[in-house]
Amino acid sequence: MIPHHYLKSQAFTRGFRMLLAIAIFVGVTLGGVVQVSAGDSPDAARIAVRAGKVLTMDKADVVYNNAVILINNGKIERVGAASKIRIPHGYRVIDALDRWVVPGLVDCHNHTAGSLMDLNDMVYLTNPGLRTLETVMPESENVKQGRAGGVTSVLLIPGSGTNMSGFGTITKMGGDTVDDMVMRSPGSLKIAQAGNPERYWFGVGRSYMNYNTRQTLMKAKTYHESWKAFESGDSSHEPDYNPIYDGFRGLFSRDYPVSVHTQMYQVLMTTVDMLTKKLKLRTVLDHCTFDAFKVAPQVLKTDAYTINGPRQYWFDRSQRKMNGNAARWWQGGVHKLGINTDAPVIPQEELPFQAAMACWYGWQTYPALRGLTRIPAEALMVDKRVGTIEVGKDADLGIWTGNPIDPRSSCELTIIDGRIVYDAAVRRRF
Amino acid sequence: MKIKNYFLLLTLIALVATPAWGLGNEKGKEAAKTKASIDTSADVEKEKKPKKEDVYFNLTGGTVHTVTGGVLRDVSILCKNGKIVEMGQGVAVPENAKSLDATGYHIYPGLVAADSGGIFGASAENSTNVFSLQMTLALAGGITTAATGNTAAKMTFGSTEGLVIKRDLFKTLRYSTIEPNARYELREKFEKVRQYLRDYEAYEEEKKRDDEAEEPDKEWLKGQYQVCLSLFKKNAVAKFTANNAHELLDVCDLVSTFDIDAVIFGAVEGWTVAPQLARAKVSVVVTPRRRDNLDERLNRASGSSIENASILYDHGVSLAIIPANTSVTLWGLAGRDLLHLNMEAAFAVRGGLSEAAALRAITIDAAKLLGVDHRVGSIEIGKDADFAITDGDILHYMTHTRWTVVNGEVVYDKLKDTLFDHIRPNGELESPPPDDYWPRSLGADQ
Repeated sequence: MIPHHYLKSQAFTRGFRMLLAIAIFVGVTLGGVVQVSAGDSPDAARIAVRAGKVLTMDKADVVYNNAVILINNGKIERVGAASKIRIPHGYRVIDALDRWVVPGLVDCHNHTAGSLMDLNDMVYLTNPGLRTLETVMPESENVKQGRAGGVTSVLLIPGSGTNMSGFGTITKMGGDTVDDMVMRSPGSLKIAQAGNPERYWFGVGRSYMNYNTRQTLMKAKTYHESWKAFESGDSSHEPDYNPIYDGFRGLFSRDYPVSVHTQMYQVLMTTVDMLTKKLKLRTVLDHCTFDAFKVAPQVLKTDAYTINGPRQYWFDRSQRKMNGNAARWWQGGVHKLGINTDAPVIPQEELPFQAAMACWYGWQTYPALRGLTRIPAEALMVDKRVGTIEVGKDADLGIWTGNPIDPRSSCELTIIDGRIVYDAAVRRRF
Repeated sequence: MKIKNYFLLLTLIALVATPAWGLGNEKGKEAAKTKASIDTSADVEKEKKPKKEDVYFNLTGGTVHTVTGGVLRDVSILCKNGKIVEMGQGVAVPENAKSLDATGYHIYPGLVAADSGGIFGASAENSTNVFSLQMTLALAGGITTAATGNTAAKMTFGSTEGLVIKRDLFKTLRYSTIEPNARYELREKFEKVRQYLRDYEAYEEEKKRDDEAEEPDKEWLKGQYQVCLSLFKKNAVAKFTANNAHELLDVCDLVSTFDIDAVIFGAVEGWTVAPQLARAKVSVVVTPRRRDNLDERLNRASGSSIENASILYDHGVSLAIIPANTSVTLWGLAGRDLLHLNMEAAFAVRGGLSEAAALRAITIDAAKLLGVDHRVGSIEIGKDADFAITDGDILHYMTHTRWTVVNGEVVYDKLKDTLFDHIRPNGELESPPPDDYWPRSLGADQ
């Protein structure tokens, strides 16, 4: 029994401080000497996966039973029925004959691949020059945990504390350095239309916010257009370089999308009208919760992607109805429909469970699986690299004990760019 | 004589008035009941307390997951006055029995939640809103019994009758490392009471030889000392909240040293000390999805593990499963509250627990932990007629509860309640949206 006063004593704290100092000294010294090797053995570059079932999630919805996937140099070399593919020599064989192999899952709305303290740099209502690239945190506990749920690519975006919180970064959930992780920066521009950035106390409501957001976007657009005119020879005047607005050039030329925090039908209407229709931005509608599904007919007239979550249902008090958000969007004809976690709101590894709940509330398994793979990849315009199991694409795979959406199934092995980044047999995390 | 005749007549009336099929028309029976009460009141002299007419409920068809007695098919479950009285094939069903045909559905015992919030009032029978949305949602989740505060209560929707099934479930003890003083004092108290019990035993022996033997002083035996005494005598179960391995081991030590019955809520690192928990014979209430990062500074396994429930079960630790949020929420985050108690059990299966054990952890084992397994938690003759009748495997993510039965009465019917009636109403995956599409100018009307 330790007397309780001992715990409070100065001696204990001082001793502990000294210990800590020694530990830090030792740690720093050793850290300089011991180099942690991160590279895989050369064998790992070539892998053959013998799979019980492969859900390619491609446009033809091909499913192989008893299949082989060949991985070479981080890319998928071949995929097909086991009877048609002979595994060449020199390939490390992974036996997953009673497993399902699905593409690595993609989450369009993540805040945990970076340092959580830097979620919201709330300087102005719109902060056009910021980007999350500098906050990316390789091999953090959150990243490791996320891939235990079969998640391999995420869009790390800043929070919704301001109307424009900066550019997001599309990262892989593996890699020892930021460069290893990043797929594309800027990944998207994050805009929070409404439903969080309001500062009613200071007199900033939706009228002013939208006026202000529009102003910022218009300035950026003017900048983009003056450069475009100069580059095409329409204008001889070379505009001044402006680091604040330069990142927007790709946005207006639709090289990458805008990720919009938008929910509730009124706000969603504003988003569709202002960003998708008037400013002609490639739009990813994030959240799309509460009664936003009522705007389905409007969304259908655009090329916007709808990525629902973290809320999966909306209780309509006036009709005493529990509405599944995804199900209602789907019923409204919106089929470019995906699911997100808004990690850490929902832990990143529970992305498939978000889909499970969408199904409980009325959606269906296969479209939901598509909403975790191909659809978010298309939404982020990285579908040439990830989201499906097709020849030439990144070897990002999850090897599952069954249907990934079923919470009873677990991800046993996660492969990113042909490298095993999670192995439940070594240490199961989820 | 007269009464008998009346009853015969009444049965005939009931037969005529009630269609033999379905749950439907109850008017006839109600009318019959009123008649019975009027008629019998005329015979007050003969029989002061007229015997209440037995209420029968017959559940037929479906796949019956008894939990304790395997899976049965093509059987009838006959319930009388809220209890299961017969089960099997060829059960003689009284003519006035209400019946429910569950063909094509799965029949489970009503689920038992080892903890809950916001469904029952602070005093379960006195301040519970028995018509609350929260209770309906819990019933929609298949839950019929839940611990609330220190009481085990049933979701007797629409009535407070039979709501409480057990009071004073646990004696909550604080034995945490963050309160070293409280720990010290509690242990001292246990020691003192143990000494008292020894002294008392010695006194009883001495009394056999010496009539004037002095009984040990017990003036001080009040308050928490009394709690310790009841635990020593096994009249009560201690409840601890402990998560870290060292806290769990401390509780195990306390429990085995003083030989008391105990339940531990939390047990996040239980998987690292499972053998010790098993030897101390404590029961645990776990949340499989709970996530605590491992502490790299420690030279032992630490943090949460999805395998927690499975490892504990394999070591013989009795366990119940609850979700991280034990109330029913309405803010939109799905699958993390009491409505999806079954999904939390499904996550235990992900961690290696067998499906049968996962089902037990939200039915019979949870009931045992609460000390109400003589009433609920499995489908057995003599137990309460509480059922969750689902359209699929209860651990599957798309399974909805079609009916929930408490005390032999249907208290939730998915298709008669607006909450979920629009979700796969006929079981078809592709079902149309409900009729409330709005704004109309943007919707189907256009």
